[in-house]
Amino acid sequence: MGETHMKRRTFLKLAGGTALAGSLARPALAQQVTVKWWYHFDNPQNTPAELVAKFEKENPGIKVQAEAIPWGGGNDYSTRMFASIVAGNAPDCAQVKLNNQARLMEMDALAPLDDYLKGWAGRSDIADNIWTLNRASNGKQYYLPLHYVVLYLYYRTDMMAKAPATTEEFLAAAKAATKGDVYGFGMRGGGGGQDNWGAFVLGGGANFSKGGMVSEKALAANRWYVGLAREHKVVPPSAPADGFRQIVDGFKAGRSAMIIHHIGSSAEMVAALGDKVSAAPVPATPGAKGWTQFGDESNAVFASSKNKDAAFKWISFLSTGENNAALAKLSGQLPIANSAAASWKGHEKRFVDASVASLPIAGVLPDSPKTADFATTVWPQNMQRALLGQISPDDMMKAIETHFNG
Amino acid sequence: MTPTRTAGGNAREAVTPYLFLLPALLVTLAVVLVPVAQTMWMSLHDYVLFRPKNVPFIGLGNFARLLKDEVFWISLANSAWWIGLVVSLQFALGLVTALLLNQSFWWRGLARGLIIIPWALPSVIIGLTWTWMYDFNVGVLNDVLLRFGIVEKPVAWLAQPGTAFYSIVLALIWQGFPFFAVTILAGLQTIPDELLEAAEIDGATRFQRLRSVILPSIAGVIGTALLLRTIWVANSLDVILVMTGGGPGFATHTLPLYAFLKAYSGMEFGYGSALALVLTLLLLAVVFVYVRRQSRELGR
Repeated sequence: MGETHMKRRTFLKLAGGTALAGSLARPALAQQVTVKWWYHFDNPQNTPAELVAKFEKENPGIKVQAEAIPWGGGNDYSTRMFASIVAGNAPDCAQVKLNNQARLMEMDALAPLDDYLKGWAGRSDIADNIWTLNRASNGKQYYLPLHYVVLYLYYRTDMMAKAPATTEEFLAAAKAATKGDVYGFGMRGGGGGQDNWGAFVLGGGANFSKGGMVSEKALAANRWYVGLAREHKVVPPSAPADGFRQIVDGFKAGRSAMIIHHIGSSAEMVAALGDKVSAAPVPATPGAKGWTQFGDESNAVFASSKNKDAAFKWISFLSTGENNAALAKLSGQLPIANSAAASWKGHEKRFVDASVASLPIAGVLPDSPKTADFATTVWPQNMQRALLGQISPDDMMKAIETHFNG
Repeated sequence: MTPTRTAGGNAREAVTPYLFLLPALLVTLAVVLVPVAQTMWMSLHDYVLFRPKNVPFIGLGNFARLLKDEVFWISLANSAWWIGLVVSLQFALGLVTALLLNQSFWWRGLARGLIIIPWALPSVIIGLTWTWMYDFNVGVLNDVLLRFGIVEKPVAWLAQPGTAFYSIVLALIWQGFPFFAVTILAGLQTIPDELLEAAEIDGATRFQRLRSVILPSIAGVIGTALLLRTIWVANSLDVILVMTGGGPGFATHTLPLYAFLKAYSGMEFGYGSALALVLTLLLLAVVFVYVRRQSRELGR
């Protein structure tokens, strides 16, 4: 019995000693901070491990824990992000999209970066209009741009001589290409198709301010777009359900002559079609300003992070020069830093040219908490119903107007 | 001398079963009752995930809203049609398969193993596989139909409201019929050979044997399987989500899918919870029948 007591006492002493040693050792460990970063790449096999190793070598006090989060069309990623914020378990920083900025601001989930950016040398290496596009409605800068894409028109050079520059030329070219089971335009009527629709309807005069969806110009542009399917029948009957994979595969298989997507799919296109595929800015509606989707990708630091300084160091590292180029290679998008873009060899030149030529009309969806639901639910449901003739094109626009402006 | 029970012994005896049940009860409380209570709480609030600081209590406001919501009624009707079709056709196919697998043939063991594959596959894989089989441009179904001259042009199976719903039903039947096949097969093997032989000697035809001997003998198994499958099918949304996301329009919206979309796409957790609770209440009727049936069988 006595021996047992001795053992217990010895154990307690040892345990106490170990705990003390642990607490004494802690100040040294505290210098090492860990930054948890969430990212997503289209190709899940790509890993940022080399960039992490380079950063950790340059910043010995900071460890980066990079976690790949499944994208799932954007919904999976953002749902996890919002859930982690509500649960108090958000990462320090993450890749973010503009269509979620308003929601994140409403949750007070973002840390403003303005003070950090004042002292960051890479700031002037990113174009002013990109900063403007990313600025929040309250004038603060929460997003640090990372890379981008711009939507443009892919066309089959073996099916048409040149890219249509206007909507009139587009319709004529689509009609000419539609024969048998080949269709002029691979319309994306399923998830994500609002950026195809935006090129013609927002580009034709619709906008998200009050009354902007039900103006005569907006209604006419939408009637024309729905008419491609219902009246002119230049899009495949599968259009209401077609998403990214279906339009790209249909285009590669020669079942459609034109589709709208961005440079992220160019490598796959070239691998399948070689010189038979090229790209140009989306067709312009005569008398209208034109619009195409600016596909943004940024990083943000979360307000809940205890390591904001280290998190900013990591995300600014990713938006700087050659690091930015290395990351763009992994994501398949275009680098945001001018110094990286100048010598960019990650894509075929004709697709980079089409992207750059599209920048003057590139825009983003409104900075509103309702935008994400518009993209994932309101637009596809109403577009599909309009394409199927269940509602009129005008009713579709009224539904979008109601969603944003009540 | 017979042993006498002390008061302490009796109390211990009375408490012991509850002590053994306690861990299971605690786990059930944590993973079932707490989330259900949370869902009920959310259904009474205007709880939008991206407005965590502004969650006003609105009483039955969400329930009043759903009564006026056209999509709710479309989803409810689709759910009823969906459960009826899927469960009855899975059962019919499962019964036929079980009767076939109960016959003697040399590769019966292999056949019994193969039949379970659709049931064992993850729903997302099934959804993707059938989506590509139905694909307008490169789908194998259109290819076969075109080659045999059954259709002149490819059919957009998942893009037309008239075909999208039934296309998913077919995929679900394929996924779920092995459950019925295996369950019914297990039941069939409990029927004594003497019964079937006696019926045969009495001159019963195959159909008469099925109707008057086999089905009554396995009625308990069939009843339980039908109830369980009804609950599972009523709750399932994964295959629909992968194949159409509820579209085109609202053609393949069911109640659980609508609740999911409202919660995870619209982030309206309050309204999504109200929708989920309505589904729960409807299913409670089925659960009630199932629990009564189980307790009756345990009492035998």
